[in-house]
Amino acid sequence: MITNSQLHLAKVFLLIFFRDRQSILFSLFFPLIFMGAFSFSGGEPDPVNLGLVNNADSSASKNFSELVIADPLFNVTLGKEDALKEQLILGDQTAILVIPKNFNSNEGSSELKLLLDASQVRQQGVIKEVLNSSLLAIENELRGIKPMFTLKIEDVKARPQRYIDFLLPGLLAFMLMNLCLAGSGFNVVEYRRRGILKRLFVTPILPKDFIISIVLARMVIVLMQISVVLGLATVLLDINIVGSFLSLYTMIILGAFIFLCIGFCLGSVAKTQEAIRPIVGLITFPQLILSGVFFPISSMPDLLQPFASALPLSVIVTGLRDVANDGVSLFAFNSTALGIGCWMILSFILATRYFVWKEVAN
Amino acid sequence: MNIIQVNQLIKTYPKPENKKETFNAVDGISFNIEEGEIYGILGPNGAGKTSTLEMLEGLNDIDGGNASIGGLDVASDPFKVKKIIGVQLQANEYFDRINLGELLILFGKLYSHDVDPLDLLKKVDLVDKSNAKPDELSGGQKQRFSIACALVNDPKVLFLDEPTTGLDPQAKRNLWNLIRELNTAGMTIVLTTHNMEEAENLCDRIAIMDKGKVIAEDTPESLIMKYASKPPIAPLHGNIEDVFLVLTGHELRD
Repeated sequence: MITNSQLHLAKVFLLIFFRDRQSILFSLFFPLIFMGAFSFSGGEPDPVNLGLVNNADSSASKNFSELVIADPLFNVTLGKEDALKEQLILGDQTAILVIPKNFNSNEGSSELKLLLDASQVRQQGVIKEVLNSSLLAIENELRGIKPMFTLKIEDVKARPQRYIDFLLPGLLAFMLMNLCLAGSGFNVVEYRRRGILKRLFVTPILPKDFIISIVLARMVIVLMQISVVLGLATVLLDINIVGSFLSLYTMIILGAFIFLCIGFCLGSVAKTQEAIRPIVGLITFPQLILSGVFFPISSMPDLLQPFASALPLSVIVTGLRDVANDGVSLFAFNSTALGIGCWMILSFILATRYFVWKEVAN
Repeated sequence: MNIIQVNQLIKTYPKPENKKETFNAVDGISFNIEEGEIYGILGPNGAGKTSTLEMLEGLNDIDGGNASIGGLDVASDPFKVKKIIGVQLQANEYFDRINLGELLILFGKLYSHDVDPLDLLKKVDLVDKSNAKPDELSGGQKQRFSIACALVNDPKVLFLDEPTTGLDPQAKRNLWNLIRELNTAGMTIVLTTHNMEEAENLCDRIAIMDKGKVIAEDTPESLIMKYASKPPIAPLHGNIEDVFLVLTGHELRD
């Protein structure tokens, strides 16, 4: 089992970490800042600034304007087209809707003009969608038609789910990945470059003693850091963890194992400190974007989705989210569990295959 | 009694200019070291001194021949050998933010020994630095500390790789005294150097290495008598530097 010298070496690695106040602060800084920022917005999009020009003078156009003004998605300013156009150029308005003179239910169809700031592509879809449904509603009302279908949205999970509840597991997983890669990959390269590894292997310890010590120390660091963030989130942001903490922490430990293995592998491939930074960046940055940390993978282009959901960070993010948001038991055999299992095996094989001892020590 | 026996030892590396070809950095060397000796391996840069030491210390694979320390075969029993030797490497860097006392305790634990750090620091005259970090030490203090680290397991043989390189004359003399003291207490010492004065004053016997081979081996006095009785450089009396230059030539080495 775990020997005395492994434990002592792990203790020294912990000391090294805890005496480095700066890096502790920075590893907590990122998730806390994000949590703080998103907890206030609640994840709801800000209302779109919409300029409204009413050139018609009919009851239909009045009805329509009122509906648009009442919509919480819009922050409406009424005015003349020229004045509003200037505001659009200055960026004070996101779009301008022009109601034509002939906007009247009795005169067939009429065309509305929507002036957009091309840089606001993201909002175009939302604006069009809402305007279309508002127009349809007015049309129905004016023509006295009862809508055939209505949509009543009911959350089957029947519990409040805010954006911050969605975000937290993602941030925890991202933090976990960074702590593990820094702890194994960076350290190995640094210790090798400075001849510290060589000094250690003058003594009768085995490579596995060194690896076990680093893994033990990192597990403690990861669990402590994550507990700090999780604790603050529960107390300050009233985060509701649906599943059990046992499942959550087990998932975190499995994730730490995967990323420590990947870190050892990268640390062996990268020969210098200069090389390890871009290599780790190449692994972490795309995953930050593709792994569903900030928004669900299902909102990504269809082509990317299978690739994105197979990434190691994705399986951990999904796993943590399943436990935290949906209360899935750790032992539920689903595709996430399969993904985690595959990555554990793959990363362990890669780490042991590439972590060539003599080369690392020299 | 021989505590170290080296027989036809070979270390092969790829050539730096053409990785497909290899050369012997250590080319079939043999020597024996007696218990209680201070044995110096002298040679220009790239002669194979460090490679030889690293093979004996179990840090580098042995590509040919064999070596034994204290009756243990280095290739087949590296971990047993590591337990009875102490090693000071050329680079002596340690973990950041860990002080000397804590480092000594750590190195002790790696041998499953409980050491008294103050006792070890006393031996190398660094008692008042127990709470200092290694990067706060001067060059000489650093070398003395790395010897303290090499003593945590009370080794039978102490390997020192260029222990005085880069030290000022005072620090150098101080370190020589420390090495003599350890030797007097019964420790066998193997050191590499390219400092002639060190080889001449400190070592009981010297092996001169060049291009991976031992080209001469004897006591400093005998070597002087043999190769530098009519000194080519110093007009009044020869020294080991004269011997060295006679044997390895005068051209510059990188």
